[in-house]
Amino acid sequence: MGESAMTMGIRPGALTEPSPYGIQSKKLAIWLFIIADAATFGAVLFAYGYLRVANPNWTRPFEFWPTIANGIAMTVALLTSSLAMMGAVQSAQAGRKSPSLRWLGMTIALGLVFVLLLVREWSAMIGAGWRLSQNPQGGSVLFGATFFGITGLHLLHVICGVVAIAVIAIGFDRNRLDAGHVETTALYWHFLTLVQMFVFPLVYLMNVR
Amino acid sequence: MTEARQNAGMKPYIVVWMGLILIVAIEVWLTYQHLPAGRLLASLLVLAFIGAALGAMYFMHLRYERASLSWSLIPYLIFALVMMDHVWPDAFRLMHQRLSAP
Repeated sequence: MGESAMTMGIRPGALTEPSPYGIQSKKLAIWLFIIADAATFGAVLFAYGYLRVANPNWTRPFEFWPTIANGIAMTVALLTSSLAMMGAVQSAQAGRKSPSLRWLGMTIALGLVFVLLLVREWSAMIGAGWRLSQNPQGGSVLFGATFFGITGLHLLHVICGVVAIAVIAIGFDRNRLDAGHVETTALYWHFLTLVQMFVFPLVYLMNVR
Repeated sequence: MTEARQNAGMKPYIVVWMGLILIVAIEVWLTYQHLPAGRLLASLLVLAFIGAALGAMYFMHLRYERASLSWSLIPYLIFALVMMDHVWPDAFRLMHQRLSAP
């Protein structure tokens, strides 16, 4: 402990105390981020709920094929990617690098499947005339704003997650990062799966024709 | 805690994954049962919260962490979400007024 710390009144050993939660600081940091981000998604879903209730001419445009089927595929892809991420964490913690990297690769692939499916969904809707402020079916124009806003926010998170996993995988492969980094990234990825557990029923299923 | 998780292997996670897939299937089935909108919304929300709890407890390992972590994080999120509920009276007021678009 430096002299400046002593003179500031910090007691000796304070900087080396174990965490009261028994976890690494990076894990606590990602948990704090997740809670804040959950409040963000909560806010946009509440805004969507408000607009939906307050607008008498809300549009319910989705058919089972292709939109709901596409949504099911997206949800299953994310759920399966979370399972793959669990495999990566377990292998990393057991010191098995190659299997961990394979699981991380599978997680990235499934994340990209989710991205492609959502982009396909967006393309079909934009092709049908949907915009942030346009409703080709004549109902409330806010449907497009909320749908593209909520799914777009989630899409941005998933793309960031895919990039983060790729960076972590490269660092883990080169021994610059350890199993703790894989687990921390996994927490963020699982959070995105949990968000989809709300987005799919509220934004897709509640808008079935 | 990590050792306990490793000993369990992938089996509990596969069971949770199957449970989450089942929840999604039930949600889709409920959607096509032509329930009143309020009842459908309540059912979907209950299932979504069960799915989120399963994911947080097992995939995110909250079940294996110290209880102090959950008690330090979850109440803040619940508080924030409860505070957002002040919008509903206004939404229902507008719904009952049935304002037409300008």
